[in-house]
Amino acid sequence: MRYADFTPYDIVLLLQGLGVTLALFIGTTLIGLAIGLMLAVVHHYRIPGCRPVIVLVTEALKNSPVLVQLFLVFFGIPAFLHIRMTPVEAATLTISLNTAAFAFVVFRSGIESIDRDQIEAAQVFGLSRAQILRLVIAPQAAAFSVGPLIGILVNQLQVTSLISVIGVFDLTKIGNILNLRTLQPFIVWAVIGLIYYLAAKTLAHAGSRIEAALRKSVKWGGI
Amino acid sequence: MRFWRVIEPHIGFLLQGFALTIAACLIAIVGAVLLGALTASMRSSGNRWVRGAANAYGDVFRNVPFLVQLFFFFYGLPELGIYIGAFETGVIAMSIAGGAFVSDVILSGIMTIDTGVIDAAKVSGLSRVKIFTRIVLPIALRVSVRPMGSVLINLVLTSSILSTITVNELTGAAKIVAATTFKPFEVYAVLLVLYASLTTLLSFAISATHRRLNRFMMGG
Amino acid sequence: MIVAENVEKRFGDALVLKRVNLRVEPGEVVTVLGASGSGKSTLIRCINGLEALSGGKITVDGHDVSTKAGLVAARRASATVFQLFNLYPHMTALRNITLAPIEVLKLPKAEAEARARALLDKVGLGAHADAYPQQLSGGQRQRVGICRALAMQPRYLLLDEVTSALDPEMTGDVLRILAELAADGTTMVFVTHEIEFARHISTRIVFLEQGELIVDLPTAQFFAEDGGLAVPRIRQFLSKMKKD
Repeated sequence: MRYADFTPYDIVLLLQGLGVTLALFIGTTLIGLAIGLMLAVVHHYRIPGCRPVIVLVTEALKNSPVLVQLFLVFFGIPAFLHIRMTPVEAATLTISLNTAAFAFVVFRSGIESIDRDQIEAAQVFGLSRAQILRLVIAPQAAAFSVGPLIGILVNQLQVTSLISVIGVFDLTKIGNILNLRTLQPFIVWAVIGLIYYLAAKTLAHAGSRIEAALRKSVKWGGI
Repeated sequence: MRFWRVIEPHIGFLLQGFALTIAACLIAIVGAVLLGALTASMRSSGNRWVRGAANAYGDVFRNVPFLVQLFFFFYGLPELGIYIGAFETGVIAMSIAGGAFVSDVILSGIMTIDTGVIDAAKVSGLSRVKIFTRIVLPIALRVSVRPMGSVLINLVLTSSILSTITVNELTGAAKIVAATTFKPFEVYAVLLVLYASLTTLLSFAISATHRRLNRFMMGG
Repeated sequence: MIVAENVEKRFGDALVLKRVNLRVEPGEVVTVLGASGSGKSTLIRCINGLEALSGGKITVDGHDVSTKAGLVAARRASATVFQLFNLYPHMTALRNITLAPIEVLKLPKAEAEARARALLDKVGLGAHADAYPQQLSGGQRQRVGICRALAMQPRYLLLDEVTSALDPEMTGDVLRILAELAADGTTMVFVTHEIEFARHISTRIVFLEQGELIVDLPTAQFFAEDGGLAVPRIRQFLSKMKKD
């Protein structure tokens, strides 16, 4: 390894890394939220047999290190099932499931927080379970959920940095490359840290805007 | 149980790794609480610069991935002429990261304190330092047992990241075992269950501690 | 001696204390009466330094409470008992009382505890020394609060509506202790709604009306037809309180 200076091309490298990080983050967020929502609905409908399994699996995912989950998926599953898996595939699968576990908890509390009285009133008026879920519960639960969800997503953004360990060329991996080449760890890691910081702040800010907009549209009016 | 047969010969090695995990977490939580208490008191200061610096520290270290923080210290400290081992570096990084979260926890705890109680302390002539150490901090800590427990649990999960800088704590040890046995699925599956069990146990212990410490503090 | 000279206190735009002048000599029991919001508690909080003055000066034994050193000395000379007790919830009754004597007066632990136990016995709580505030009733907590104040052996005892948060049954217990303290010659500044009690133990009564000290008379005169009762506002106030 030869000691070398920073070059303007490094900016391109950083942007590429950031691109990979963001793409993965957005992808896993969408998939994770969808799965988490589905799990919360299944949980709400009390489909027999599903509840304990869902709770067990989500608890395991929430209470174990993401790095271990990544290793299990990237190293373990291909060996076990004799398949091939690219780092990006493994990363996407792992982070999506991890996000889903946290999202499930948030959606579940959102749904459970809706007053029983409202649901009973809706039932008495003849609305079906699905209609109640869609028209009564969902809008209110959504408004409640945004805050905690943003917190989770900001955390998941940090978590994506771990995919560099299994070889994905994300922002952190680029940091490793630059660090190794230029031997200027303070500059490299401070810049990488700054980019993650700005991304997290942007996400948090966007989140509060969305939350404010949602709260306005779910007009609470008089109770 | 094939999982057990895979792991069994390597139990000793894994336990060594586990011991390192525990050591790292215990030292780091102490460091985090000390740092967090100091930061919390700085954040309640009247001085703008002191407050700002403390807030900045918390903000930065909560919004940058731990892995990046870890690399920053691991590769950066030798540049400053500070040559400490990977384990020590990891524990320092964990303490600093933990401290940012602990200061939030302590501050919330401080805010639950009745101002009247502080008035009584002020009026009796206690110095600001004594008020913080004898009244504010003890009450804040008792009230924050649960959130503090969350920070500890997070530290346990974060400790696995130390494996990326050659520390052979539990995850690091497991990586070696997985490579040696060519059975990564079994090894990592067991590892996952181990961590989940550990954190669940910790959760119970924390709840029990909270109940015990606060048995006289319920109500107003 | 506590001297308040032209004291003014502003909260935002509101002037809560307007040019209040008051002197309290050692041995006196001065009761501050007034409607809610008249500034009574604020006056006490200015004397013990919990509120900073917007104007005027307060000295306790000559120490100016607006200076750092003066405030420290003033707080040594006085002790406060609060309406909401403000006991330290994480400490036993005994520890609540011994904390300041040990930390501020630098008393040895044994002496502080002996003093605390003697005080607790005097107020009838000897058996509750190791109880936590949560385990005590309101009246008991207030008695601990009084012990905590007395443990510092203050020259002046400031009492801020100390029975307002208690039900009638507990109020009696606390008032009895305060009557004993007054009889013993303790200097007290007493903010209260308990007019009959005030009449019984005070040497002097002052009346605050919307931040202004409008009357300052020895007790007997305050309740006399040609004294306090001659002031229409006071007459009105006293008759209203009697009705309640």
